[in-house]
Amino acid sequence: MNAISGEILPSPLSLAPAAQRAPLGPGTPRRNGHLLGPGLLLLYWAILSATGWLDPRTLPAPWTAITTGADLVREGRLQANLAVSAARAGSGLLVGGIAGVLLAFLSGLSLLGGYVIDGIVQLKRGIPILAIIPFMILWFGIGEPMKVAVIAVAAFFPIYIQTHSALRAIDLRYVELAETLGLSRWQFLRRIVIPGALPGFLLGLRFGATAAWLALVVVEQLNASSGIGYMVTLARNYAQTDVMLVGLVVYALLGFITDSVIRWAERRLLTWRRTLGR
Amino acid sequence: MSAAAVRIRDLQRTFTLKGVLNGVDLDIAPGEFVALLGRSGSGKSTLLRALAGIDHEAQGTGEIALPQRSAVIFQDARLLPWLRVLDNVLLGQPREARPRAMQALEEVGLARREQSWPHELSGGEQQRVALARALVREPDLLLADEPFGALDALTRIQMHELLRRLSERHKPAVLLVTHDIDEALALADRIVMLDGGRISAELQVPGRGDRTLIALQRKRLLAMLGVD
Repeated sequence: MNAISGEILPSPLSLAPAAQRAPLGPGTPRRNGHLLGPGLLLLYWAILSATGWLDPRTLPAPWTAITTGADLVREGRLQANLAVSAARAGSGLLVGGIAGVLLAFLSGLSLLGGYVIDGIVQLKRGIPILAIIPFMILWFGIGEPMKVAVIAVAAFFPIYIQTHSALRAIDLRYVELAETLGLSRWQFLRRIVIPGALPGFLLGLRFGATAAWLALVVVEQLNASSGIGYMVTLARNYAQTDVMLVGLVVYALLGFITDSVIRWAERRLLTWRRTLGR
Repeated sequence: MSAAAVRIRDLQRTFTLKGVLNGVDLDIAPGEFVALLGRSGSGKSTLLRALAGIDHEAQGTGEIALPQRSAVIFQDARLLPWLRVLDNVLLGQPREARPRAMQALEEVGLARREQSWPHELSGGEQQRVALARALVREPDLLLADEPFGALDALTRIQMHELLRRLSERHKPAVLLVTHDIDEALALADRIVMLDGGRISAELQVPGRGDRTLIALQRKRLLAMLGVD
């Protein structure tokens, strides 16, 4: 017997299995895992409809939405209205986003800009978007510019606020580093400020896109003659619950798709981050 | 002696809270390795920040003459998390510096890691990237603020060796701020003691072979720092 090696070699009992305890982090994410919640909701709805628990006059079945949607596509109404709505929301988001980013940089990077702009924005932020619509109509009329303006205002706030706070949170140590490396103002912006503010901007963009779709729903009920909201309003007048439902589903899909696109962009742009939830 | 690389005369700095400098005079010759020792609060970092030009919050007078090209190494590696290792080394450098950056990474033993993200490196490796970032600037003066303070003891010894090799090869003047006497004795040509915002003592470090003399100096330095 070799007593010494017997002592050194671990006995099977002392071999601890790797990480028996459940990890505290959420674990490895799965592809498209975020589809699970919507999928379950759809299943629930389908079961209620199929068993007759859900009166189609209250809420039509999911497949009714699909068949009606297909009919609307065949007639060409859905895509025409969708294009109008998407253009509205898109241009509002673009205008609000550009304004949000520009003002956030102005107020985040200069003291005076901060004193002037941030104060106003914080004040204005308290006013609900619905409350400014009468003024928007007064200033921009009842047509398209008013609609885009309302959407832009709605999208502006989250984008401004998140970008601004990300800018303010940039580590002072990086500023010192930039000074010792002799970076020019432009290099400082490009290498430190913009990448540092990017996560905040993308988060703001996600909120901003949601806000834009939300504002779209509201403004399309106002004197619109095209768009998904118009389609829904018209269907409501004729009590076509199935068309109303298609409108809702389209809104939901639009919001979901937009959010997915931005999250995808986030993953591509922020590969350097290592966080819990990805 | 040739003209000094660094010349400091009657440097004074006051802060509301942090350390104070109270008339510092210091010369560093080209290629000379000076360690700045002192207790915490003695003004070591204040002096280094004044030389690095990042003490905007301080008020003071005095004369500082520095070489054109200087580089700073901080206690934290201070790599930008959104830039890969090579881009961190190249930060603020023209595109043509790329081969030099690769060479600097090779010198610090990270030739294969140029496309890694900073968070993928260990603390010691991150500090070596910071060293490469300083090297690529071909500095005539290297300012280091307790650069190995956050590393474990074994990594620190490796880093001492690396820094000594690199400073012997590239011959910048070095000012190393530290509170570690052994680090100062191992690396520096001369040790300068800062106390109460002034240079209170300085001594030449004996040749590396002279163990008894080193032990003696070590004892003296400890006494000056108030440790017995």
